[in-house]
Amino acid sequence: MKGLVLIKQVPNTDSPFRINSAGTWVDESNLTYVLNDYDRYALEALLRLKDAGAMTEVVALTAGPERASQALRTCLATGADRAIHIKDDALTAAAPLVVARAICAAIKGEAFDLIACGLQADDDNHMQIGGAVARLLDRPCASAAMSLELRDGGTARVERELENNRLQVVDLKLPAVITVQTGINEPRYASLKGIMAAKKKEIRTVTLADLGMGADAIGADGYRTVRLTPPPKGKGAEMLQGPADQVARELLKRIREKTGVI
Amino acid sequence: MGCKILVVAEHEGGAVRDITWELLGLAHAVAPQGGWGAADIKAVLPGQGIGAVAAAIAGRGAAEVLLVEAPELQDYACDGYDRAIEAVVKAEQPEILLFGHTPNGWDVAPLVAAGLGVPLATECSQIAREDGRWLFSRKAFNGKFIQVLDLGKARPLVATVQKGAAGPFAGTTAGQVRAVTPALGVLKARFVETKKGEAGGVDLTQAPVIVAGGRGVGAADKFEIIKSLAAALGGQVGASRPVTDMGWLPHQHQVGSSGVTVNPKLYIACGISGAIQHIVGMKGSGYIVAINKDAEAPIFGVADVGVVGDLFEIVPALTKAVKEARGQ
Ligand SMILES: Cc1cc2nc3c(=O)[nH]c(=O)nc-3n(C[C@H](O)[C@H](O)[C@H](O)COP(=O)(O)OP(=O)(O)OC[C@H]3O[C@@H](n4cnc5c(N)ncnc54)[C@H](O)[C@@H]3O)c2cc1C
Repeated sequence: MKGLVLIKQVPNTDSPFRINSAGTWVDESNLTYVLNDYDRYALEALLRLKDAGAMTEVVALTAGPERASQALRTCLATGADRAIHIKDDALTAAAPLVVARAICAAIKGEAFDLIACGLQADDDNHMQIGGAVARLLDRPCASAAMSLELRDGGTARVERELENNRLQVVDLKLPAVITVQTGINEPRYASLKGIMAAKKKEIRTVTLADLGMGADAIGADGYRTVRLTPPPKGKGAEMLQGPADQVARELLKRIREKTGVI
Repeated sequence: MGCKILVVAEHEGGAVRDITWELLGLAHAVAPQGGWGAADIKAVLPGQGIGAVAAAIAGRGAAEVLLVEAPELQDYACDGYDRAIEAVVKAEQPEILLFGHTPNGWDVAPLVAAGLGVPLATECSQIAREDGRWLFSRKAFNGKFIQVLDLGKARPLVATVQKGAAGPFAGTTAGQVRAVTPALGVLKARFVETKKGEAGGVDLTQAPVIVAGGRGVGAADKFEIIKSLAAALGGQVGASRPVTDMGWLPHQHQVGSSGVTVNPKLYIACGISGAIQHIVGMKGSGYIVAINKDAEAPIFGVADVGVVGDLFEIVPALTKAVKEARGQ
């Protein structure tokens, strides 16, 4: 069995986010990037199948700019066997459906029994790539997986997270796609040995043009971000300032007046 | 035949799920902007043995309910539901197709959109017309920004809609129910069961005070300062999802859409950014205090009082002040 994990490099959630001058996305100049948190859990889910002898190879794929190769290196250092990088700066602004098409084109001819990705990316929060890839490849898909178990008869049993602490159990006939929710496992970190070994592992790079997707593949249908804005302020909190002791006294006063718990 | 807005209805246990009324509410609210009326709004309802559900929706918001019944559709599974919805969309040719941003909605919507070959806007809070185009507002960066998307020329325009984006449709309609029987193809996903997740331990729902810590607390052992403040206030310790995912606290402490919903008299959020999935679980609290080093954190949007600062300075200072006040 072969597994493919779809990953994305995203800005660290702790980054100082500012809107870019065009007002259409965040200003990328001050950001530091990491492997999307959800994807770490997706990678771990496949690596565990490999550890258990159920999977012979785990491949990591990303679609993104040059810098994204760093996230692939992280996957290779953590245990993935090889990587595929669909490298194109235009991908950042592409509709998820276009990214999904590029992914399907890039893995054409390879037979992956299980494709896993994170439930969502921490930057655009689209939550679509897994489902779109599944439909384009005519495979079943389960989102928000909180457990994964391979069963006899070529099926994968997945527990999908619902709301209110409930789970939906579903059997997927392999080959299949899952999107992984955080907390499904405890992702391992790269070891020093893994980091050294990763240097020798292959990253195959392809461009959109290599995949037969021309410049018109992105945005030609009019899909675009019109603007990015700060969220509505809501009712707006009263903001307290000053040294910690003084702020604490002010907080205490309000807690006393407003809540009656003291 | 045909319609302008098609709503994907959800049901469970023989009842219409609330999100369906909200989607119909949204459809009725935006239809006039497209020059459409109540007669242009329909619903698609896959399932089995749900004639009464269909009738209820036809009576409250949908001019027609396209009812797709088959034994395989008894319970939700992406495969089957996607083909049923896709077939109805192809027959009805709507301009706009709306799903709820629910576990089943976000599961099936990408399949349907990809099957139709059109883009999708997820987790939308607003749909509005601007300069002759439909624009979809959705959150990005876990709520730190709103992204306004133009989905372009393709039709239908497909969206999943956040809970609470619109009020539930409250009017009545004299809609029809029409049974349709599209081919579902070979189904490769099979529903097994729905079950409860792990339970036990603390019960946050009864706590009068909750002091919650997020990823900003940084490590399991650093939660001591959160626990001390909770103890001083006679309350419980809550957490955001990353905290329980990383095992800093057991799952039962998680507040939010996939954890518990709480409404204590006092909720103190420390090092929590305020993602929508967390906010839905605590916004009903009586009084909300937020402590975060990032002045732009969305948590301040729901808080009554906020402090921009280091939780490792503010929290111990507050604990000390509370203890003094209580003579502890
Ligand atoms: C389907 C689904 C369900 C989900 N369910 C839930 C749920 O039930 N509950 C939930 O909480 N999340 C849930 N999430 C996850 C959610 O989207 C967010 O990722 C999560 O809430 C973020 O947690 P956080 O605020 O602790 O972390 P972050 O977003 O990383 O925020 C950490 C915050 O700490 C601040 N900080 C850091 N250091 C300090 C310091 N020294 N002093 C003060 N502040 C500091 C930072 O400024 C930042 O704002 C769900 C997501 C999905 C997709």
